[in-house]
Parts: sequence; structure tokens; C-alpha cells
Amino acid sequence: MASTACFIIVSRNDNPIYEAEVGSAVKKEEAAHQHQFILHAALDIVQDIAWNTNAMFLKAVDRFNDLVVSVYVTAGHTRFMLLHDSRNDDGIKSFFQEVHELYIKILFNPLYLPGSRIMSSQFDTKVRALARKYL
Amino acid sequence: MVDPASSFLGKMLLEEITPVVMVLRTPLVEEACLKNGLTFVQMLQPFCVFNNIDVPVRTVSDQPYRLHKFKLRLFYASDIKQPNVEAAEEHLKEVVTRAAEKDLSDLSSDPPQLDDLLAMNSESLPLWFKIFNKELIRTLSFSEHEAFDHPVACLLVVSSKDELPINKFVDLFNTNQLPSLLNDGVMDPKILKHYLLIHDNQDGSSEKATNVLTEMRSTFGMNDCRLLCINSAKDGSEERIGSLWTPYKTDTSPSQDLGCLLNVNDVSEIKDLMQDLSSKHIIPHMEQKIRVLNQQVSATRKGFRNQIKNLWWRKGKEDTPDAPNGPMYTFSSIESQIRVLGDYAFMLRDYELALSSCRLLSTDYKIDKSWKRYAGVQEMMALTYFMLDQSRKEAENCMENAFSTYLKIGSTGQRNATRCGLWWVEMLKAKEQYKEAAGVYFRISSEEPSLHAAVMLEQASFCYLFSNPPMLRKYGFHLVLAGNRYYMSDQKKHSIRTYRSALSVYKGNSWSFIKDHVHFHVGKWYAFLGIFDVAVKHMLEILACSHQSVMTQELFLKDFLQNVEKMGKTYEVFRLQLPIINMSSLKVVFEDYRTYASTAAANVRESLWQSLEEDMVHSLPMSRSNWLEPEAKSSKKDKDSNVCVVGEAIKMDIEFKNPLQIPISISGVSLICQLFPRSEVAECELTEKDAHAHPYESASGEKNDAEELRKLTSNWELNSGVSSFALSEVVFSMRGGETTVVQLTVTPKVEGVLKIIGVRWKLSDSVVSYYNFDSDHVKKKNIKGRKKSSQSSSKNLKFVVIKSVPKLEGCIRHLPGKIYAGDTRRLVLELKNQSDISVKNMKMKISHPRFVIPGSLEDLNVEFPSCLEKNSNSEHNDVQPSSSKQPKSSLFSFEDAAIQGGTTFFWPLWLRAAVPGRISLYLSLYYEMENLSSEMKYRIFRIHYDLEVLQSLDLSFQISPCPSKLQEFLVRMDVVNRTSSENLQLHQLSSVGHQWEISPLQPNEAICPLQLLKAGQALSCFFKLKNCRKSSMFEGSISFHSLLQGHDVRLGPQGSDKALFDVSGSALADFHHHERLQQGKSIQGQQGTVDFILISQLPKNRADHGLEGQSDLPQLFSHHSCHHSIASTSPVWWLMNGPRTVHHNFTVSFCEIRLGMAIHNSSKEAISIRMSTLDVTSSDGQLSDVAAAAQDPISSENQGGWHNVSLGNDIKVTSDALGTQFGKSSSDVMAPFVWAASSSTRVELEPMSTTEVPLKICVFAPGTYNLSNYTMHWEVKLLGVPLSAGDRTRQLSGRSPGHPYYITVLQSP
Repeated sequence: MASTACFIIVSRNDNPIYEAEVGSAVKKEEAAHQHQFILHAALDIVQDIAWNTNAMFLKAVDRFNDLVVSVYVTAGHTRFMLLHDSRNDDGIKSFFQEVHELYIKILFNPLYLPGSRIMSSQFDTKVRALARKYL
Repeated sequence: MVDPASSFLGKMLLEEITPVVMVLRTPLVEEACLKNGLTFVQMLQPFCVFNNIDVPVRTVSDQPYRLHKFKLRLFYASDIKQPNVEAAEEHLKEVVTRAAEKDLSDLSSDPPQLDDLLAMNSESLPLWFKIFNKELIRTLSFSEHEAFDHPVACLLVVSSKDELPINKFVDLFNTNQLPSLLNDGVMDPKILKHYLLIHDNQDGSSEKATNVLTEMRSTFGMNDCRLLCINSAKDGSEERIGSLWTPYKTDTSPSQDLGCLLNVNDVSEIKDLMQDLSSKHIIPHMEQKIRVLNQQVSATRKGFRNQIKNLWWRKGKEDTPDAPNGPMYTFSSIESQIRVLGDYAFMLRDYELALSSCRLLSTDYKIDKSWKRYAGVQEMMALTYFMLDQSRKEAENCMENAFSTYLKIGSTGQRNATRCGLWWVEMLKAKEQYKEAAGVYFRISSEEPSLHAAVMLEQASFCYLFSNPPMLRKYGFHLVLAGNRYYMSDQKKHSIRTYRSALSVYKGNSWSFIKDHVHFHVGKWYAFLGIFDVAVKHMLEILACSHQSVMTQELFLKDFLQNVEKMGKTYEVFRLQLPIINMSSLKVVFEDYRTYASTAAANVRESLWQSLEEDMVHSLPMSRSNWLEPEAKSSKKDKDSNVCVVGEAIKMDIEFKNPLQIPISISGVSLICQLFPRSEVAECELTEKDAHAHPYESASGEKNDAEELRKLTSNWELNSGVSSFALSEVVFSMRGGETTVVQLTVTPKVEGVLKIIGVRWKLSDSVVSYYNFDSDHVKKKNIKGRKKSSQSSSKNLKFVVIKSVPKLEGCIRHLPGKIYAGDTRRLVLELKNQSDISVKNMKMKISHPRFVIPGSLEDLNVEFPSCLEKNSNSEHNDVQPSSSKQPKSSLFSFEDAAIQGGTTFFWPLWLRAAVPGRISLYLSLYYEMENLSSEMKYRIFRIHYDLEVLQSLDLSFQISPCPSKLQEFLVRMDVVNRTSSENLQLHQLSSVGHQWEISPLQPNEAICPLQLLKAGQALSCFFKLKNCRKSSMFEGSISFHSLLQGHDVRLGPQGSDKALFDVSGSALADFHHHERLQQGKSIQGQQGTVDFILISQLPKNRADHGLEGQSDLPQLFSHHSCHHSIASTSPVWWLMNGPRTVHHNFTVSFCEIRLGMAIHNSSKEAISIRMSTLDVTSSDGQLSDVAAAAQDPISSENQGGWHNVSLGNDIKVTSDALGTQFGKSSSDVMAPFVWAASSSTRVELEPMSTTEVPLKICVFAPGTYNLSNYTMHWEVKLLGVPLSAGDRTRQLSGRSPGHPYYITVLQSP
């Protein structure tokens, strides 16, 4: 498991709709905004890359010092972004794919408005479990 | 693709990589020049740039070309050394600080807008970046490993005033002042020299100078000597040419008059000097040197043979240990010479040659592991590639190579790496690869101290901005990084500037942590600078940070409050987000004609009240207007806005929510209102119209807010000044995450128009927040343009204040919150009229007449519950006021009662908790004003109470016909005490209605042996019920009153002498009436049902106090059970009469028994009855089968065509029970019998008449027989009268099975 990992889902209009610190390291107060900064900036790169490939998993698109941003773009242009410090492409890919399934289930919910914040605690626990499994 | 030479990098290279001229001068020279405020070098500087000199040059291969632009760099010999590191740092810092000073002016202005940023291009970048970069590069000048900063020529200057000028010239070059480059042997000390004699014209004629010149010429050579006359201007007589120098003099003070003593002649002389120097001396010299060097290089290094040799030779050196800077190369070494060749070629723009020599050199250095030199050569190669505009790829590779090599050698190469990076960046920028450029900037930044890194990062951010498409998020991020570095290096103004620009990117997005970080830091830094208002403005943005940890929230709030404190005044904010106002929960309670007893009443839905008051207000002529009729004029005006009364408070419930997890304290919460007295109303309407005509059309959001705030504050100030209305103030504190509803009131004191504009509160006693209710809708209106919704909502807060009118206040006294079902008690309605004017025409309506009914005024003074007890005076019943009235309508009017001003009015109410559950009681009281001149004719007083009714007694009755007597029934009463703890004392059971008479089964026996019915206990009692109706009753209409008279059975223990309660008494009867309405369908024409009232009491000496400690009041429980069917709906009653036991000697003959069947028609129509007897067929004859008995009535129902289901069910149940009884008793029936005589008898019966039909049976054996195997068919004869609606539900014909009749025949002895 990565010592630092921040997972975030960004809706198609660039708002974060789900955030989770899934790293094993102790969460630091100032890390939260740093992670947001890095991930937010990486959106620019994603924008460049996403339209040049057919793959959903874009691998590592951006880095900041020793932190790497891996991105997975769904068909609806929702972006799953993972900030991590370990290199484990296969694990990250499986993680993204499973989270995608969970996300689709969220979308199935008729009460969920696409693009709104994902408040489901079940989703949260499942994502964290996946993170423990794959990262 | 732009020409590389005209790109920024190209220009920079043409400027920076130019021949250096070393200047050696005597102090007197300097003195002469300083008269102009200039040093010697400064004086010459403007003339070192040649934009149009046109010098012919030849390449090494004799290709002629011309140089058009050229530049010389002049330095004093003392300056030609590696700059001091600390000094350089200081200098750079100064550059940055100066830039910050310049920017301070717009720190307090608005941050840049995103659109403006996007419109920027690379030219509009702040100039100081370029200056900084240049300065940063300059810190590296005169390095050993590069040759382009090595002086090409030396200018020796001596003043004509010097003694022995010739000797001075010699001394100048021989002193130890020469730069280390020359002394250390890095450079060839034999450099081109040029001798210059300066003559100050102020010191007299130039005669002496010319003499010296000739002497010089003879000593140093004809061409290398010159005379320069300066300071020839007469004081102030000639035109100023000082502006020539200003761009070169950085630390100028404006008062100084630059070049004041130089006239045009001087200037042109200087110009000539420099031009000659470059075109006639330096360029030819360089060209010459290139040729010589090239020949040397060719001889030793070029060609296949030399390469092999070189390789061999280098190989040999391989085992030498790595020196940190590689081996030392002197000027005479071939490597240094190649480097000089390359750099000279570059300076003369022979890039091909420069490139080839650099290539040659780089391999050598690489093999030698002289990394710094290798990197320098790589850098040079990259630049030449760039200038050649050939291979972009190659150029970048070389740069990358150089950059990483510099980094590899550690700290000494770091700055070089930076320079290399800057060139690389410029190279990329020239090719518009901004994204890559930004990456390089970022790489540079990680190697530099924080201040430099900050500048680099900021430049990187601009690169992202200029890239196509613009990468705004990267831009923002790098700005923030830069700001952070600026802060670390103590450049707060720069930090603020960068963060502010970053804000434009992050504005309006929902990345909360980013926003908080940026706003918080900007705010903090502004506070450092003492600009508190802006600081607070930024801090405001982050107050509602519910996503942050508690610690951060505390920090934010603390910092915010500190800053506000430092501002020294209360800070006024528009729409502070702390605490949050929940607009959707906003509720206004005001009293126009509707007034409320409590807030609970006010919270009840208006529609509920309206439905309740429908027919009450109906009687009023004014209010009720048909929609078809044109509205009255006065009401139209009022319709726009709400009406309220002077002196009566308008209450507003506002829900505040604390989004933070830390407690906050709120004080001074009050409404902001505007009251236009009547005289100004018209004016106010006018202004309003104006405002609506231009609803903030072009105003931007922010301006709008400021406008609103200004409006609110000015209104508030007005508020505190005037006394036309009174406002309430609330102070409260909220815990983390708490939601509080606050009630604010405004009480108008003058007639006119009152508008509630907003609310104002103080956070922690320092921040005043204004919140306007209206703007939401205004904004909405702008967006959606929906006219209707906005209008209604904005009008909702506008009130027309009218003259004060009386208002009733009051409550119901002694109303408990929780009572047991059946509890009956008397309450008092208390009404107060505080005003001077009396009210009249009071009417009341109650939502649940089953629970509450108004009493009569007499009830007020009598004692409860004894007032309900049976009075010996039977006449009393007849004058019951409530009974004589129509209790059906729930509208109760207080006859002529009027409440005088200032008095209190009491009226009794009866409460009876009918059914368990939660009940909301609504009472509406209508009253009219005594003086009709007031604007309000009537008002309504609304009272609302919630009542929880608990279970007490469960009552059920079972009635079965008495087998022995016609028109008599057995009643079984099952009572269960369902209360949790109360013991109840059963008091009496009454049947209602005169036609029923209830009596104990055994006349002298106590029916209920129990003193108390304990909690959870069940009890069954049996009674006899007799129908004592007389036919005469049908002749007239039955008065309601007589219907209510009933018979009572005392239930208490024997010998109790308590008075019985009168069920036909006022309250109980009325309740019973409502109970009947509730339980049954109609009360008319139901002869076949009976109602019971069970009255019980709580024992008087209860130790434990029950609910709400009201045990001191005697409590009375009445349970009403209505519409108990007496087993049959058939109008026909019959009873078999005959002997029960017959003795007969069967040895003689069979036994004949005569029986009579009494048939009674209880209906109002004539009935035809057919009785058919069924002869016995096997088991059927016994009729002992339970199933048969149960099924029969069902089939009879079906035969009747349609039927009422519920009734049918009743019948089924009862007959089921009957059947069960038969089953038990008929076990001993053994032998059949035969009906004698005809099998069918038909009888016509007049209404209410009885007839007797004779019957006979023959019995053949002794035994007990059940004579129920006959059926009665009956049919109502309608005599041509059409069916009325009520009749339709009745059965018109039917078939009933026979009643069981047991006869026992015994063998007589």
C-alpha cells in the first residue's frame, strides 16, 4: 500500500465530487490542500491527453516532485485521479476499473444527480477497501 | 518561424555574447568624466552599440560577408572577475524588491480578471522578469571555462592632465590590477591594445594634448592612439543631450544633469572613436585571430590523421584521476584555443565555424571528463544550433545535456545550470513551446534558492498561461508555488501578487481546500502589510469551512477576528456565511384579521384554518367576494401586500446554522426595516417603481453586493434613529454544527407601509453582517425573468400598517397535554381584550366537535362533575340550551356576548377524549369590532392545541336476542382496562334512547363485583335489554331530545349510593351525538341498533398522581359505543310459543303438539310474510350442524339481490355465535319429527302489528327436538310508492332461517 495516496473523482465540469485520502501515511493537515493543488493542476494535462487516446486509463500523466498523478477517464468524461508515490500500474489500473463499476452503480441511482457530490457512505467504504486491496 | 536573430533569445545573445573591451584608466580620467555625472565607461556606453556599421568580414574559407550590427561591452579591468556571490545575491534581491515596490500601488485594487489574463501575451510580461534573468546570467560572467567574456581588446586611457602620460600608459598595463583571467594564464595576455588620451576642454586648450598624442603615436604606433576631447560645452549654452545616457544609468538621481558638459562635437567624437575602435581594430583583429587559430586547429586536430592521433593521445591520459573541474587548460592548450576560436566565430556570427569547433571540442572534454567545460561547450553548441535555426532537436538535446551535466558536477555548476536553463527556456519560447518551457523553469526552480525559484516559478506559470490552449490550472498552481517561495524569501508583496492572480483561476470552483489555502494566505499577508480591510475581505471567504478540521476552523476564525480587531472598527459585511441563514425556512408570522393564540397556532397551515373558518367568515359581507365580481378598490390595494396592525408585532422565524464545529457567539440579531408613514407612502411607491424599472441591469455581481450593503447599512442607521417601530434584539451562541431558530419581531408604531428588508447580526461582537431577504429573488428574476414568482415573494415582506384595532388574546385553561381516552372534563376558554374598544358578534368553530364542545354559560359556575349527575327534576332536561339548539352545526355563536375593552371573558368548554391517538385541536374564534369605522371589520382568533390521548378502556358489546321473550335481548359487555397504571372504577352503563331499557340480568344482584378495574384487567358483564317502543311513537316525529333519554344501570359495588350521571345531560348528550355521527352512518330510521354509554371514574383516593398531577380534579370517563345491531335487520320478529316439555304415551300414538308463532312487523310498511316449514331429510332435520346454521343467513342475503356488506358481516358474526350455541346444546337430539299441516303459510301484516300463526308438529319418539327447520320469507309491500334514496340501502325482502326452539317430548308413564 502506498504511503501517500489521494483519490479524487472529478466531474465533467471540473468539480471534485468525491475525495478520499487512501494512503497509509498519517494524514497531515497541510497535505490536503497540496494534494488538491497537484490534482487540480493535473487536469490541464488530462485535458490534453484524454482526447488523444482511446484508452480510459491514462497511466501517470503528471508528476510533482515524487508524487505521481494517474488518471482514468470514463466515457462521460468523469475523471478518476489518483495521486500516489508508488509505482504499481497494474494495481492502479485494477483499482480504477473497480471504482468505475462502483461509480456506475452510483449513477444508476435515480436519486443521484450526475455531477453532484457522492455522499454514499457505502461507496466510500468500498473505495477504501479497494484502495487497501490494490494500492 | 521567426528569425532566430530577431527572437528574444537571439537579441539577448547578440547583446550578451559580444566582444569585451577591458578599460584601464587613470584616476584623472575618471575625474574629468565625473563632471558630467558619468564614469568613463558610462560615458562611452551609448556609443558601443552599432546598429548600422557595415563591416566586411571574411570567413576562414574566404567567404565574404558583412556585419551590420555590432556591440562592444566595456568593463573596467577591476570588474573583469567573477562577481562576488553575496553581492550578486543582494543585487538580485534588490531587483525583486524594487519590482515589488512598483507593484504595491495595485495591491489594494481588484485582482486581475481571468479574461484580462488570457488577453495577455508574452510582450506584456512584467519587464523585471527580463531584468532579473539578465542579472542572474550576469552573475556568471567572466567564467574561466568560457571564452566569450574574455576581453578581446584593452583600452588604455590617460588624461592629458596626467604627468608623463606615456609612462602612465605603460604603467597601467603592467600593474597588478589586471584581472585574474589574464594573470592566471587562462587568457592570452597578449591582447589588442588601444591607447586613448582624454583632454578636458575646461582645463585649457588642447595644445598640450596634441603634443602628447604625437608622442604617443611615435611610442605605441600610428593607429592605436587617439585623442578625445570632452567637456567642451559652455555652461548651459548648448542643447542638452543628457537623455542619451539615461537608459544606461540605473541608479540615477533625477536632479543630476547627465552629460551637462558634453556638446554635440564631443558626442560625435566619442561616436567616431568607438566606431573606429570596433570596425578598424577589434573586428579585423578578431578576424585575424580566427584565421590563425583555425589554421592551428586544422593543423593539429582536423583531418583523419590528427583525429586518430588525438584519440590515441587522450586515451593515454585516461588513467589520470578525476579533478573536480577536469584538467587545467591554459590559454596555449589546443582546447582553449578551439574554444576561443568557437566563441570568436560566434561573436562574428560565423555560426558554422563556431559549431564545428564546438563539436570538436565537446568530444575532447568529454573524454577528458572535464564536465564543466563539456557542459559549457554543449551550451554553446545549442546556442549556435539555435542561431543557425537548423536542427531544433539537436539544440534541445545539447541544452538538456548541458543542463544535466552542470547539475551533475554539483554546487559549482548550479548557477551555470540556471543560466543554461534560462537560455533553454528562451529557446523553447522562441519556438512557442511554452509548456516545455514551463517544465524547464520548474526544473531550474528546484535548484535555486527560494527567491530565485519563486521568480522562476512565476515565469513558469506565465508560460502555462501562454501555452496553447492556456493551461490555467497549471498557471494557478505555479503561481501558488511561486507565492509560497516568495513568502519564504520574505517578499510578501510578491506573494500577495501571485496568490491574487491565482485567485482568478480558482474563483468559483469547488476545490475547497485550494480556495481556503489561497484566501487564508492572501488574507494573512495583507494583514502583515497592514492592509486589514482587504485581509478581512479575503478571510471572509474561508469562514464557512465546514470541511476543514476543527483546528483549522479555529485558526481561521481566530485570525479573522484578530484582523477585524486590528482594523479598529466594527466591520460590516454583506451576507456573512457564518452562521448560515436558511432562507427556505424563513417564516413570517403576522396578524392581520387573523390572530393567533400561540406560535403553534401560527405554524398551522393556512388552508387548514381556512377550511375550518369557511362558513364562519362566510356570513361577513365584506370579505367574501366572488371572483366574477370586480374587486372592491380598497381590498385591491391591500391585496398587494399584507396587512398588519399598529402595535402588534410581526414575528419572523429565521433559522441560523453554524457550519463550523466550533462554538460561535452571535449577538444583536435584529431585523432591518423601513417604515414609510402614511404621508410618504405614495412617494415610496414611486421610488420603488423606479427601482423596478431598472433592476440592476448592468451592475456586476460585486457592485451589486456593495450597493446592497450600502443600502442596508444606511437603513440600519435610520432604524436606530427613528421610533416609528420597535425591533427586538436576540443574543445567542451556537455550538458546533448547531441549528437554531430565532424569532425576531418588529412592532410598527405608526400607520403606513412597513418593509422588512433584511437581518443584521454581530459575530463575536466585532463583525456586523447584513443580510437582505430580497436580493435572492431579484437575482433570480434577472436570470429567469419569471415575473410572477418574484413579485409575490418580494411583496411578502411588505406590510400595510393600519390603525390599531382590538385584538383578543387568550387560551384554554387547564387543558392537559395528555389524557386518557374517555376522560371528560370541563375547561375554560379565557379571552382578554386589551384594547379600549369592545368586540361583539363572537362566533366559534371547533375542528373536532367530538373532542371539544362549547358549554353554556351556566356550566361555568356549577360544580363538576356533579353538574352532570342526574337531577331529580326531570324537567331540567327539557330546557337544556345546547340540546334545544342544533348541535349538528359546529359553528357556535356566543349569543350576545361582547367583550368590553380591558376585560376578560370566560366561557366553559367541554373536553372529552374520544379516541386514543394524537389529536390537533383547532379553535377559531370570530369577532367583530364595535366601531365599524376601523379598517378592519372583524378578526379571527385562532387557538391550537395538541392533545395526546392514551388508551383507557376497551369496550365491546355483544347483543343476542333473548330466546325466551320477544323484543328482549341479552347484552354482554366486555371491558378491558388498557391503561398502563390507572385503576378505574366503573360507575354506570346507560343505554341511550327511550325505546331501550337496560337492566341487570338479575334484578337484585350486583353486576360488577369489582371495586376497581385494575390496569390490564378485563371484565365481562351481562345485561338485559328490552325494547319498550310503543307504536304511538311513530305517529309524530321523534324529537331528538326524547331519543336521548335512556336507562341506566349502576355498575358499582352493591349498596353504593352514588348519584347516577345523566347521559341526556348537556355535555354528555352532545358528545354522544358526535360520537354517533362518528361511529355510524345516520341516526335516523335505525330502530335495530342500540347505543351504550359507560361511565367510569378514577378512584378519588389515588396515591399516585396520574397524568400531570391533576388528580385533585374529579375525573370522569365516558365511553360511548354506538350502533350495536340487535342481530337482525329484518323488520319481522317472530317467536314460537308453545310448551317446552310434553309428556306423551308413544305406545298409543304419535304425539301431536300445537304451537303458535307470534309474528310482529316492526316496519312502517305492510309486509307479506311466508313461512315455509321444511320436512326432515336425514341429518338436515336436526339443524344441529353449525355450518348449516352459519351458511343459511348468507344465502338469504344473496337471495335478496344486493346488500350492504358491513351489515351482512354483522349478521354473519352474530349468527355464527348463535350457531355455536346450538351446536353445544343439540347433542341430545335424536329422532326426527314432522311438521303437520301445510308446508307454507302466507300472512299479510300491517305496520306495527302482531299476528299469531298456529303450527303443529308430529313427534314419533321421545326426545328433544329443535324446531328451527323453517324459513321466514318476508317482502315489503311498497304500494306504488317509488323508492327513496334512503330506502335503497334497505332490504325490501329477505329470508331468515328459523330460530331454534327446543321441545322435549317424554314418554309418559
